[in-house]
This record gives sequence, C-alpha cells and structure tokens, in this order.
Amino acid sequence: MGQPSGMQVRPAKVAAAIFAGASMLAVFFGLPSAARYARADDPAVSAKNSYEGDAGQAATGRGLFNQYCAHCHGPNAVSPDPPRDLRRLKRSYGENMANVFHFTVTHGRPDKGMPNWTGRLDDETLWTIFAFLQTVQAEP
Amino acid sequence: MSRLSGMLAGSLLALSALPLGAAAESGKSWTIYGGDTANTRFSALTQINRGNVSKLRVAWVAQLGSLEAQESTPLVVDDTLFVTTSAGPRYVYALNAKDGTPKWKYAPEIPGDVQQTTCCGLDNRGVAYAGGKLFLGRLDAHLVALDASTGKELWKTQVVDYHEGAAITSPPILVKNLVITGYAGGEYGVRGAITAYDQDTGKQVWRTHTVPAAGEPAAETWKNDSWKFGGGAAWLVGSYDPQLNLVYYGASNPSPWGASVRGPDTSDYGKFTNLYTASTLALDADTGKIVWHYQTTPYDTWDYDGVNELVLADLDINGQKTPVGLKADRNGFFYVLNRQTGALISAQPFVMVNWAKEIDLKTGRPVEVPERRPRLDVWAKDICPNLFGGKNWEPMAYNPQTGLVYIPTFNLCMDLVGRKEERKKGAFYLAEEFDLDKPGPGGFMSEMVAWDPISQKRVWGSKEELPFMGGALTTGGGLVFHGNIQGWFKALDAKTGEELWKFNAGSGISQGAITYELDGKQYVAVVSGRLKTPPSFLGHTGERIFASSPEGGALFVFELPD
Ligand code: HEC
Repeated sequence: MGQPSGMQVRPAKVAAAIFAGASMLAVFFGLPSAARYARADDPAVSAKNSYEGDAGQAATGRGLFNQYCAHCHGPNAVSPDPPRDLRRLKRSYGENMANVFHFTVTHGRPDKGMPNWTGRLDDETLWTIFAFLQTVQAEP
Repeated sequence: MSRLSGMLAGSLLALSALPLGAAAESGKSWTIYGGDTANTRFSALTQINRGNVSKLRVAWVAQLGSLEAQESTPLVVDDTLFVTTSAGPRYVYALNAKDGTPKWKYAPEIPGDVQQTTCCGLDNRGVAYAGGKLFLGRLDAHLVALDASTGKELWKTQVVDYHEGAAITSPPILVKNLVITGYAGGEYGVRGAITAYDQDTGKQVWRTHTVPAAGEPAAETWKNDSWKFGGGAAWLVGSYDPQLNLVYYGASNPSPWGASVRGPDTSDYGKFTNLYTASTLALDADTGKIVWHYQTTPYDTWDYDGVNELVLADLDINGQKTPVGLKADRNGFFYVLNRQTGALISAQPFVMVNWAKEIDLKTGRPVEVPERRPRLDVWAKDICPNLFGGKNWEPMAYNPQTGLVYIPTFNLCMDLVGRKEERKKGAFYLAEEFDLDKPGPGGFMSEMVAWDPISQKRVWGSKEELPFMGGALTTGGGLVFHGNIQGWFKALDAKTGEELWKFNAGSGISQGAITYELDGKQYVAVVSGRLKTPPSFLGHTGERIFASSPEGGALFVFELPD
C-alpha cells in the first residue's frame, strides 16, 4: 500500500469533489453512498483488477469466496440480505465498484460486521475473488 | 404426573434454600430460561388446554425497539416480565406482566465492532434471576448483574476478551451463590471455558477450560499445539441437578472446522478425539471439576457442535427409575445418558443421518461412513444433517405427562471440504468451504418431532416448509406451542401433533414460548423477530426465508377471552 504518487494527486482531488457531490445527492435521495466507504485517493483505483474477464481466475475466485466470504455473503454470493448481497455491487457503485470493493475489503466496516482483510488475504487473492464477483453481478 | 411432581418436588426441596425465586413451583411463574433447572420447558398449567386453545387471542404486545433475531426467553417473577432484545442486547425491559406497562429499561453501551466477533447474528437469549438480581451475558463478553427492581447495573465483569472472537449470547445458570456462564467463539479459534462468579460481587470463583492445555489430562487428544485455538465453546445454557450438585454444559465444535491441523484427517482418528469438544460435560457445581464427559462427535469436522441443552428427567429404564439426561445432538442422534455417571443408555437418529451408521453402544462412538467425512481438499457430498444439525439451539421440551420430548428439527444436508487456513485473532477460522443449501428429501426443511425417549422412537411429526422452526413449550393442558420462520405461532395437540390454533405474528419466531399465571389467569408469551444471519448461509433457501417474513422485534402475550 503506500501513498498515492504525485501523478495521482490531481485526479484524486477531482474525483474527491465528484464523490462529495455524489454523496450529498445520495444523502438527499437516500441512495447508497459510495463516498462514505471508498476514497478516491485509494491507490487501488489505479491498481484495478488485472484479472478482468479471466474465466480461470473467476473459478479460483469462487472457491476462495466460498472459503472466506460465503458464511457472511452467502454461497456463491447468493445472499438474501441487501447490505451483504455482493451481486448488487455494480448496481450500487457502477464504475466505482472495484474501488469500493478494494477499499471495503482492506479497511473493513468494523461496526457493521465486515472484517478488515489486510494482512490476511493479499491483493492478488482479493482481485481473484473480485474476478468471480464480476461474473455474478445483477443486471443494472 | 407422579414422575413430574416427584422431580419438581425433589428439586424444589433442594432449591428452597437457594435464592432461585419461585422456580416452576406451581408452574405459575417462569423464573429461568428452560422453565426449570432441568430445562424441560414444561408447565403444569391447564387453564389453556386442548379444548379451548382455539379461542386464544392477543392480550398485549410490546415492541422491542430492535430488529432481527429475537431469541429471548422472557422471565416472569411475581408480576414482572423481563425480556431482552437482539443487538447486544440493545435493551433489557421490565414490564408489567399483566398489561405490558414498562417499569424500567436497561440500555448497555455495547461496542459496535462486536458485529465482527459474533458468528451467527446479534442475538441474546435472555437473563437469569435470583434474589432480586438479574444476570446478563452480553455480546462484548461481559457479564453484568442488574437490580431487578430498577435495572441499575450492580457489577460488571469481563469473562473473556471479545476481540478474540468471543461473545455471550445465552443466560448464565445460577447455583447457590454462583452465576455460571460459558461463551461463544468456536468459529474464531477461541479456547472455551465455563466460569463461575460470586453473585454478590462478580468475583471469579472457578474457571474450567473445555480444552486441556499441554500437560493436562486429555491433552494427548490434540495434534501438536492445536489445542491453543481449539474451540469447545460453551455458548448455550447449562442445566443443574441439585441432588447430584452437578452442572451440565455442552461444549461446541473444535476449531477450526477443517480437521487436518487437529489430527490425522481421517475417520480412523485414533487418540485424536479433541476433548472436550462436541461433548456434554458434568461439572461439580462448587469446584468446576469435570466429573464426567460424554463426547457425541469425536474429532468433529462437520460443525456438529455439542452444545445442545441437556434436559434432565427421571425415566423408567428396564423397570428402574433412572436419572437421565436427554440430548438431541446436532449430529442427528438422540442420546439418553445416565446423568449421574455419564454412561450411555441409548442413542438413535431422530432425523435423517448418513454420516454415521449408528452409535456403538459399547464405545459410545459413532460408526462413521468415511466418505462423508470431508478432508483437506477432498469434498464430502450430501452429508445429512447439515451443520445446523438435526437440532440447533432452538429448545426442545419434555412433557412428563405424555412422556414425549418435542424436538424442533432440521431437514437439511450439505457438502464440505477442508482447506488450509491461518488463524487471525478475531476473524472467522473455519478452514473449510461449504455448501449448505441442500434440502433433505421429502419436501420439508424442518419438523416438530415428538420423540419417545424410552423406546427411542418417533411418535408423530409436524412438518414445516422452511428451516429454522421455533423451540417448543409443552403444558399440562396437553399442548405443544411453537413458532416458525414465517412468523406463525401454533398450538399442537401434544399427543397427536394435530394443529389446534395458529396466529400470524408477522416476523419469524425462533425461541420457545413461556407460560405463566397471574391473578388466576394463564398467559402465553413469545418473541417474534426473524433470524437474519443463519439463513444467509443458505443462499437460495435463505432468499426464500427472507421473502417469507421481514425483520421484526415484538413480544406477543396471549390469553383466553374472559
Ligand atoms: C463476518 C462476516 C463477513 C465476512 C466474513 C465478510 N464480509 Fe463483507 N460484509 C459483511 C457485512 C455485514 C457487510 C455489509 C456492511 C454494511 O452494512 O455496510 C459487508 C460488506 C462487504 C462489501 C461492501 C458491499 C456494499 O454493497 O457496499 C464488500 C465488497 C465485501 N463485504 C466483500 C467481502 C469479501 C470479498 C469477503 C471475503 C474475503 C467478505 N466481504 C467477508 C460481512 C462480512
């Protein structure tokens, strides 16, 4: 992890401003707020998922998901509980889905029951899980 | 009837010197979680009975102010009803038992991050009462004493550091001057213990670990130093026999679920039984010393746990009145044990079981079907029952008049495989991958089973479409009450299982009901508020459960019209 490089500062600020706006709108309309959980200057934004569209990774990711995440998020990500239903990530966060995913998993939401996986699952593992989650997203 | 009164009279004699309140004396109050220290959930009251239960109607309702997973058994002491809520608990209420008027409310400060260290929902199953005090275990693994007349906190003590992955969800049991509790944590690699504190001061009197440390007796049942994170959490309620002065507790599954770090990872496990996990323990109430143990699932890897409550009864076994303990184990077998010695009397499957052929009566051990034991990276498929067990915490009830035990059962199966995993403090430590969304055969996923513990045979069953049916209450009125996950609260004929009455409470019911009498009138009370976390483990079946009733939080009290 480490600090964002100087290169990223400007876009991060722009994004932060957009996020702030989005979050006000979200509050106003009661929409799920990405900005509450994901920060635009998270280095993971640029890291992105290197396994996108890789079917082999998605299959491995399914196994990892079922081992580490399924007892809270449901087998194969089938969960009946909206806040825990990870098939809704794309509908909730759109373009920002990878960012929210990475930030949430590496910071947790301790008061809501989502653990912080830093030090337990490395980035490669997390993106492998993400590759699986991308295959189960509900249609927008 | 004679068996019952004999037993109650016996326990009351012994209890009369103790500050245990009215107990089930006349069946009029409900002063302890299981109805009595034997955990029978039987009440002798007869005013509401087979003939008139169809007229039962709501007397009053109390909103609990907290949603999800209401698992509290209310207590009624004199004219006060005490009930806890989910989420910590968020509240403990004292209400007028006749009309629900609030007397006081206790709202503890529970840290938000306990969410992470509770495996199966933010539940609380209630308080214990003695001598004007209430005792409460919390999700932050603290035990507190409250003044029962004001709700004021009298003392508070940390039982274990919840950051390890521990929590207290069940009420303690009270014996003489002691308050005795276990804690949850078998999914986090917490090493289990049962601890007794002084009721007046909260000072620790004894502590007995359910998993031995290196060098202690039974340590050789663990591979290497796997005992350190060995589980065996005593997270449900204890029972107490005052004559024998024995306290009975179940200890949970070993940690992690995946067995390869704890032994040879085969059905031929030899000495690696992992004591005292998945066992019932009998402890000397004064010292905490383990007097006997009975391990129902040696070297468990199915999360068959071992915590289910031991119901104490005196049964006629081969013409001999015998003090027994009855246990409908998660592993699917119904055990009748001599509760003085721990000797096995009989064991038979009370649901569909395919992981073991039978219990060997000589060794007391299950005869395993090796291909149904998951191993490291080797799947075992279609194992029945699944890890919710033949029965889970939802309590059974024993009616000495019918001689039957009423067991809320599951009909679910699963696939499991062991995986390698490191333990991290406060994080789930399962080392297993699972698929639990496998309904058993027959088109139903739970069933109230009336079981004859002497002949070890099923007498009747009342099927439910969805799993997680509620616990049982049985009465002298010839009735069995229970709820279901859709929110229906039902009265069945205790002899035949025929449904005599039902009421839609609007959100799932999982805890057993209670009954009490006030000013000559009998009431029945039950909490409603659907489970959230355990059904989430089930994928598509979980979606059906969530669709069948919303989250909720209310106490319903019923009466007959005047
Ligand atoms: C102990 C239970 C638990 C475990 C284990 C767990 N999560 Fe979560 N997770 C939660 C809860 C609860 C939430 C919802 C928090 C909220 O209400 O904001 C959540 C939220 C999330 C979110 C954000 C969802 C959203 O819509 O904002 C992501 C992404 C996520 N989890 C990924 C994972 C991954 C990946 C794993 C496995 C490596 C995992 N979680 C394991 C409990 C858990």
